[in-house]
Amino acid sequence: MNTRLLEKEWPALAVAIALGFGFLAATSPAFLTEFNIYVLLRSFCISLLVAFSQMTTLAVGQLNVSIGALGGLVAIVAGGLMEKLGVPIGVALAAGLALGALCGFVNGVLVTRTGIDGFIVTLATASVFDGINLGITKSIPFYKMPAALVAFGTARFHALPYLLIPPVLAAIALAIFLARTSLGRYLLAVGGNPQAAELSGVPRARIIVLAHSLSGFLAAGAALLALAQLGSAQPTIGSDWLILSFAAPIIGGAALGGGYVSVLATALAVVLLTLIQNGLVLEQVDPFWVEFLLGGLILAAVGFDRLRAARAGGG
Amino acid sequence: MRLAVENVGKSFPGVVALDGASLRLEPGEIHALVGENGAGKSTLIKILTGIYRPDRGRLTIDDKEARFASARDAIASGIGAVHQERNLVPRFTVGENIALEQLPMRFGFVDFDAVHKRARKFLDAIDSSIDTRTEVRRLSVAQMQIVEIAKALSLDSGVLLLDEPTASITGHEADALFLILRRLKAQGKAIAFVGHRLEEVLSICDRITVLRDGKVMLSGEPVAKVDRARVVREMVGREERIAEFERAIPQSDTPAMEARELATARGHVGIDFKLMKGEILGLYGLVGAGRTELARALVGDERIVGGQLLMDGTPVASRNVADAVHRQKIGYVSEDRKGEGLILAHSVRANLAITIWRRIADRLGLLRRSSELRVVAPIAARLDVRTGSLEREVIKLSGGNQQKVSIGKWLAAEVKVLLVDEPTVGVDVNAKAAIHEAIAGVAREGVAVLLISSDLPEMVALADRVLVMRDFALIGEVENDRNLERVSRLIMELIQSR
Repeated sequence: MNTRLLEKEWPALAVAIALGFGFLAATSPAFLTEFNIYVLLRSFCISLLVAFSQMTTLAVGQLNVSIGALGGLVAIVAGGLMEKLGVPIGVALAAGLALGALCGFVNGVLVTRTGIDGFIVTLATASVFDGINLGITKSIPFYKMPAALVAFGTARFHALPYLLIPPVLAAIALAIFLARTSLGRYLLAVGGNPQAAELSGVPRARIIVLAHSLSGFLAAGAALLALAQLGSAQPTIGSDWLILSFAAPIIGGAALGGGYVSVLATALAVVLLTLIQNGLVLEQVDPFWVEFLLGGLILAAVGFDRLRAARAGGG
Repeated sequence: MRLAVENVGKSFPGVVALDGASLRLEPGEIHALVGENGAGKSTLIKILTGIYRPDRGRLTIDDKEARFASARDAIASGIGAVHQERNLVPRFTVGENIALEQLPMRFGFVDFDAVHKRARKFLDAIDSSIDTRTEVRRLSVAQMQIVEIAKALSLDSGVLLLDEPTASITGHEADALFLILRRLKAQGKAIAFVGHRLEEVLSICDRITVLRDGKVMLSGEPVAKVDRARVVREMVGREERIAEFERAIPQSDTPAMEARELATARGHVGIDFKLMKGEILGLYGLVGAGRTELARALVGDERIVGGQLLMDGTPVASRNVADAVHRQKIGYVSEDRKGEGLILAHSVRANLAITIWRRIADRLGLLRRSSELRVVAPIAARLDVRTGSLEREVIKLSGGNQQKVSIGKWLAAEVKVLLVDEPTVGVDVNAKAAIHEAIAGVAREGVAVLLISSDLPEMVALADRVLVMRDFALIGEVENDRNLERVSRLIMELIQSR
């Protein structure tokens, strides 16, 4: 039982988070204020969905580098619908989510039909999404968002932002989906060994399309949260998501070749990363170090993954 | 150069691959190494080439003890090998491939003129028709093999090991290869030739060593002194008792699966057979005969381009693997257990249950571990899968137990037709018996089984009839009367008939 616990990622992450939390609480008086915790959680919300978005493609052994561009496109389309066409909030948000899923679906279909690697396909579609984004906005944000949406984006219950609700629901749904539904298990089976899964009757191509669609849907969710949080549809939404989207699932122990992901560990990794970012700001460290640390953490996590694989006899 | 091993042993978890084997390669001789799949030939070759280190035994070069820490050591000692799998860089030219180990340099840059000159020198010694400036991917399989031989020779090897060099080339190309081998022999090289086709082996080799289950059955006898029948006997082991399995008599109503003049995208033509409920139908053929490809077409992984496939008398339209599995209830146990059969990093439970997830999900679409276990645990028990827990990752199981899992998932799926491809390659004797019992058990339950195997005793133990395939066509059928010698002879006669 003990060794199984060591094989899991979340205990180590929980310890790291506790240490970081303790350190910041002790050294930085601003850390434990209600407002700081609120700010910290606000950025956590978006990061969590971004991480889940990449996690679903990693689960089938694919990479999706179009997440940020897709998010940006969704944000400005939903924002444009509300500002320019006066579409009701609910309809605009639903349209945004549908657009995200559709973009993901296109990614998936391109990958499975052409047989081209997901990395290359999403690299190309990222540019396409960016192009449409800039074509629509000419780099000018939509500023006039409906008051109700902006209110939701800033509302909080003590330190808890209302924005936390969608990602938490998404986390629960994803955890159940991956662990307990046949489609979710198919996703991991295709990631674990595509040939074996296919020969076992799993519709491999459809599962890969599903993973990409889900990834697009989650990225769209993150974009809409960002829209509510910022109170404007910025064309640049999503431009800084890429590294984080890989860092969190990988630190959370996702197998790079596919077949294993952990919702809990990924969520904890996002907590840790958010904590690090917040800590560096509070300690007034040069923002350059944030990027630096993120990169270092990814390398460490991947190195650890290799080590584990080698020990299991698989590497 | 003289290369010898004495009394070497090598074990892998759950399998004894070599058990006190010896082999002596003399200069100016071609030495045949034969045996069935899993007899230990490849393991022996890998020990001679420094890829594996033996658990015990001695390796000598010119009667002096040698020790290889790596494949590079063996190469440096003058041992060249052409392995079954190709070891060439497809996008590089023939010349670069041959000279890759010691690229000639000039002013710090690769000197391509020297590369091609050097490659030309070694190629001319065996076959001058290949242009050294051609990219390797444009060559035929036989030409690639020649390039590999030239590459092996370019390293000044006195010993040349060829692992099944004729498995994937035509008879005409093989003749050309033999001419080359005879020339090299005349130059005093010591050559080891691993082969499947006995006629071929006996015609070209000077001495023969037969391996069976990791032991030497015939040790370096001059080929002139042994006949074919003796070699077959030593390979398959006549004294080996053919296990009897309790079998139900195949039902003779409509066939569970029937092929009529079936043609596939991979080149099968005129495939006709009937597979009855409860029957085990053998499909025998040499490597490259097209057996695996046929199985993959039957399970929807290769396109069927002509003729008809009928399940329970009903024609089946074009489909994919998911249709074949879920609608037509056809299961395929791949010969490549690790690459295609199992998800190694996932649990035994998940691997066994993958085919039934859709079926056992509850009304909300959720899977319960308990409902998975209800189906899977009895199967694991029936097949005697040795695992501490069903939650254990499959990668941690022995080869035999892994194979039981890959058969077991089809029991869970309750298939009507099971295609089993080389089920006992690389598993030990006990696991083999358990897998045989599992296959016989599946048939007893009324499943129609198509058994692909290169292991004749296995065929004779399990199959009711044996279909023989050559060059992607069925060339005959042999009734199995459990007489290994007779059945082997009839099958070999079919294969060698022209």
